[in-house]
Amino acid sequence: MRRSCRTVLVSLLTLLCAGICAGSAVAQGKPDLTVALSSFSTETLDPVLGGHLVKYYLSMMFDYLVGTTLDGQPSKDGGIATRWENSADYKRWTFYLRKGVKFHNGDDLTSEDVKFSIMRAIGPRSTTGYAGPLRTLIQTIETPAPDRVVIVTKDPTLIIPTYLSRSLSTEGMVLPKKYIEQVGDDGFARKPVGSGPYRFVEQVTGSHIKLTAVDNHWRIGTPKYKTMIFKLVPEETTRLALLRRGDVDITEVSRERVKELEKESFPVHFRREESILTLWWILGPDGWVAPMKDKRVREAMNLAIDRAEVAQSIFAGKADPAAIPLGLSWSFKEIGLKVTPEMYYPYDPVRAKKLLAEAGVGGGFPLEVFAYQLPGLPEGKAMAEAVSGYWEKIGIKVKLVPVDYPAFRKSWVDRKTPGSVGYFNIANRDWIGTYALLEKQAYTPAKANDTVNDPEVDGMIAQVMRQTDKEKINTLMRNIYARIRSEHSGMPLVYLHSAYAAGKKLGKWNPSSVMYDLFLDELASGK
Amino acid sequence: MALAILSVVVFILARATGDPLHLILPMSATPEDYAEARRYLGLDRPYVEQYLSFVGRAVTGDLGMSLRARRPVSELIRQRLPNSLSLAIFAMGVSLAVAFPLGVLAAVKKGTALDRTAQVIAVLGQSLPTFWVAIVLVEFVAGRLQWLPAGGNEGFASYILPGFTLGWFVVAGMMRLLRSAMLEVLDSEYVKLARVKGVGESQVVWVHALKNALIPVITFAGIYFAILVTTAIVVETVFAWPGLGRLAYEGISSRDFPVIQAVVLTTAVIVAVVNLAVDCLYAVIDPRIRYAR
Repeated sequence: MRRSCRTVLVSLLTLLCAGICAGSAVAQGKPDLTVALSSFSTETLDPVLGGHLVKYYLSMMFDYLVGTTLDGQPSKDGGIATRWENSADYKRWTFYLRKGVKFHNGDDLTSEDVKFSIMRAIGPRSTTGYAGPLRTLIQTIETPAPDRVVIVTKDPTLIIPTYLSRSLSTEGMVLPKKYIEQVGDDGFARKPVGSGPYRFVEQVTGSHIKLTAVDNHWRIGTPKYKTMIFKLVPEETTRLALLRRGDVDITEVSRERVKELEKESFPVHFRREESILTLWWILGPDGWVAPMKDKRVREAMNLAIDRAEVAQSIFAGKADPAAIPLGLSWSFKEIGLKVTPEMYYPYDPVRAKKLLAEAGVGGGFPLEVFAYQLPGLPEGKAMAEAVSGYWEKIGIKVKLVPVDYPAFRKSWVDRKTPGSVGYFNIANRDWIGTYALLEKQAYTPAKANDTVNDPEVDGMIAQVMRQTDKEKINTLMRNIYARIRSEHSGMPLVYLHSAYAAGKKLGKWNPSSVMYDLFLDELASGK
Repeated sequence: MALAILSVVVFILARATGDPLHLILPMSATPEDYAEARRYLGLDRPYVEQYLSFVGRAVTGDLGMSLRARRPVSELIRQRLPNSLSLAIFAMGVSLAVAFPLGVLAAVKKGTALDRTAQVIAVLGQSLPTFWVAIVLVEFVAGRLQWLPAGGNEGFASYILPGFTLGWFVVAGMMRLLRSAMLEVLDSEYVKLARVKGVGESQVVWVHALKNALIPVITFAGIYFAILVTTAIVVETVFAWPGLGRLAYEGISSRDFPVIQAVVLTTAVIVAVVNLAVDCLYAVIDPRIRYAR
């Protein structure tokens, strides 16, 4: 029996030693850039099936029609179009394409590919972020020459270049027409071909996506890393362990663990104000319901929240109070909006109670608050509990409803629980993206998604859509925000700074302020 | 019959808890986008039609397309199932290697320090939550000591931590079961007779007694093997292991109906196959167990 015991122990130790040896081999140096992410969203390799989050890995495989700068502005250097111009009536947009660009299979990239890609992005298969507005807007696409494409719109518009740029979603990614026609949509989704600095090697669903560098690329020269791997690692402890072992070079890190990594001398990069965490009331079929219909109640609920404390205690100080509902701050500079100190809600529970009393609900009222986690917001439930606590202090009888996001979203768009509260960490973006958000969440005709229910705001949003004078657009955008803020049409909470930890040997990297894009170009650039 | 009932129940439940388009489409999608996507994905058809279409295709091995990844679900299952099977086999191997000697020795040395140690291991194994064990191992063994890989399936070494975490719980249950079964058998008349006839103690314990104590252990191992293959969600999530459990979780959290349906059907088939294998093993171990002719 003793012999049996010894045999078992020796076997287990041998197993452990073998594992350690093999494990150590894995941890040694490598010419790859490995990025660990908590979610790949739909995990698709086809840009039209993506939404926004797939940009993290697809933007290295594909080129956009219009490039973007690190701060999210359309760029003539970063995209297939080297310049573009509009007709006097803003209904014809001509893009001049970069010459000599080839797809990874050797096919030339021409205007036919651009046309095909846009038509596919607005086609029935597409689930991308901005397919809807483009579908409504685009009348036809002309290809007068292989290096020239003309987009004709039904109405005058300024949005075309930005909508097809890297600063928004995936609609602007240029795909190979011939290849897709040859292998079909499903074949392309399994083995995609792009024209970006890295080409597809393999995907193991639920595990990783592996790309390999092309020899030379106009965007980044000779890529610095031969291989780029995106690993799907849902658990943060595991991502950090991989970082410590040197198995990954870049990883998302929660705000509460930033200090720990900084102590260990890991560089932590922030995407400042990457999103705004904003709360809203679910509307009823006919708009606001009592008691939120009364603007004083909406103001009271805003005044009851101590945003500075939430930023400090829930978000480990890696957040800043927000002042305007749906206020995407990356657009503020462009539209000339300056957020003044008096626009921030003070923490004033006394005045909040007074306002509730004036509105006739001094004794409080029942309120359902949905509590759920979101990608990039592991603090979701804790935040919902904290905010509920503030509201209970002013007499509101809060019932927390723990759900997952799809269940909340169904309640929201079906308007089945009017008056209850939900939230989202809305990705920050430039003015076009901001306008697109307002058009969906603050515009009554948007119906299902609307959270604002204000005819005055509706009127201004409709005007932006038809306006081609940028100065007038800026004024309208500023007025929309002023109105939303003065009517307390939502509860802005904080701007979230998202942290990305990097390996100690990783070079200079600016993770940019482009929506859902870590902008690995700079890091991989051999220029 | 059971599969048919299961498929109906899953089909209905999956659709009752949310709309997958709320996750597939971006927040900015319009009602028209929803209608278009619903039409394209075939979700606008009546439920009965969707169900019959699913069953019709499933019997030919076509489990439909994932709504989220737009890939054939059978392809996703093919990618994930081998990972789950190999991890479950590894975990079960580790469990058997630890539980068998410990369980037997704990019974033979009843009341000794060894027995008490085995009981402590059993209590810890069954009371420590799997997620906690997993996180502790990742944090210290992989992250701080850097002895073993933290996640992913990249060779033999990456099996050890998830395999140990999964096996840890099974060890505890199996050891307790084996100990009690062995105690019962060791007290039986035929064992006493064997001893009286002068059969060596080692042979009495490891051959005569153990064989007869195996039936409940094999039943337990069979049930847990099926569980390890299909529902190791926590371990697969913590160790970034691309297995069937995580596919199920992803399917459920994104309301990907075809994936949910396919995973449930695959699970049912695995459970049926494992049960059949266990029944066959009964007959091998105990010749008295045979089908009536």
